[in-house]
Amino acid sequence: MTDRAVGPADDPVDDPVAESWLHRVRDSNAAVWVTMLVSSVASLVASFVLSIDALRLAEDPNADLGCNINAVISCGTVANSWQSSLLGFPNAFLGLITEPVVITIAVASLAGVRFPRWFMVAAQVVYTIGFVFAYWLFYEAMFDIGALCPWCLLVTFATTLVFFEMTYVNIRDDNLRLPRRVQAAMTSFIRSNLDLMVLVVWLLVLLLAVVLKYGEALFA
Amino acid sequence: MSKQGRARTQEMRKAQQEAAARQARNRRIVTVVGAVVIVGLLVAIVWAVVAATRGGDDKAPPASGKVVVPANGNASGAVPVGEPNAPVTVEIYYDYMCPACGAFEAANGGELDRLLEDGTARIELRPISFLDEQSSGTEYSTRAANAFATVADGAPDSAWDFHAALYAHQPKEGSKGLSDDEIASIAKDAGVPADVVDRFGDRTFVGWVGSVTQKAFDSGIQGTPTVKIDGEVFTGDVYSVGPLTQAIESAAGDQ
Repeated sequence: MTDRAVGPADDPVDDPVAESWLHRVRDSNAAVWVTMLVSSVASLVASFVLSIDALRLAEDPNADLGCNINAVISCGTVANSWQSSLLGFPNAFLGLITEPVVITIAVASLAGVRFPRWFMVAAQVVYTIGFVFAYWLFYEAMFDIGALCPWCLLVTFATTLVFFEMTYVNIRDDNLRLPRRVQAAMTSFIRSNLDLMVLVVWLLVLLLAVVLKYGEALFA
Repeated sequence: MSKQGRARTQEMRKAQQEAAARQARNRRIVTVVGAVVIVGLLVAIVWAVVAATRGGDDKAPPASGKVVVPANGNASGAVPVGEPNAPVTVEIYYDYMCPACGAFEAANGGELDRLLEDGTARIELRPISFLDEQSSGTEYSTRAANAFATVADGAPDSAWDFHAALYAHQPKEGSKGLSDDEIASIAKDAGVPADVVDRFGDRTFVGWVGSVTQKAFDSGIQGTPTVKIDGEVFTGDVYSVGPLTQAIESAAGDQ
């Protein structure tokens, strides 16, 4: 699909809900791709820092990293865990490989390029895997490793935003070949800004979990 | 268009409008519920932050950084146990959270007991706390080492037994470690007098633990357990019974 699909969002069907200004802003290409661009750049920067830290720790396991602030906020503790090199090399390298692709997609799209549907589906699939991986790491850091690293949290946050925007745009442009009923429901869902609400609730739940588990160490 | 047809169209339109109104109402309800959830989460977060800030104030006195050396211990971090005139000195650097130290203790504890008993060796226990980060923010390494130093200070005769008991109940690395209450009850079971156990909470030796940890690494210790026999690092197998005993006994034979 080289031009933008006339998706349900563009159909002059009887949508009972007048399109809200919030949705109009969110639905614009600029908002979608700029959010994705900023998030993926943030992820790339964080991955870069984490990769350098991984090299320094490989050289000296007790290296004094700038983000070893206390027992809880400690990149070193996280980076020295087996979970941080799940595939045999530091996870951060994956960010160095994948985030530039997202950046490219975002910049190209801002410039007016429309990717074929199969391309966007592939991007969605791969990024979903990355998203699941990011949350697995977050969970392990919280409940198994027992330490948080600020750069990892930035990756978790930015990955969430990229995943959110990627899914949003793929539903908006009807790229996923979902059953018509599901597609219609999804479209109505995002037109009502309910997806945004889910995102906000999701991020707040994460924040609450961190504060509940580590509040004393963070603020005391 | 026939009259009937027009009526049907009107009916359909009416039905559509009703459905639309219903949908709009549902959406409003969902939005309100969502807003309530969001506000609730924000309140919970603020509450948790405030509680955490308060909770920190009435917690145990913080490590003041002041170094108090336990009686029957020294400033370099050693707590000696056993016959002072024994021919061989065995130094053990360890962290109460370190799984390898637990394995070392499980393998060699009995043998070391015997070597202490028969006067072959004196042991300098050197607890350090570099694994504080492995106890989910509870700094188990420091708490356990402080308890051990308190026992060395107030009830040195129970120090060895308490040390062994802490490893017998060693928590999993990365867990929250043993609670202060659990450490206290282990100490009581190991024969530490109650008045000494009550002093664990004073955290008197936290500064000492921190300082000897630093000194241990400054002196070239790479990790735990590190065992030295008469000052020489023992490089043999420390996780099975035998090699360490042989090395100690042969050192004793050389005297």
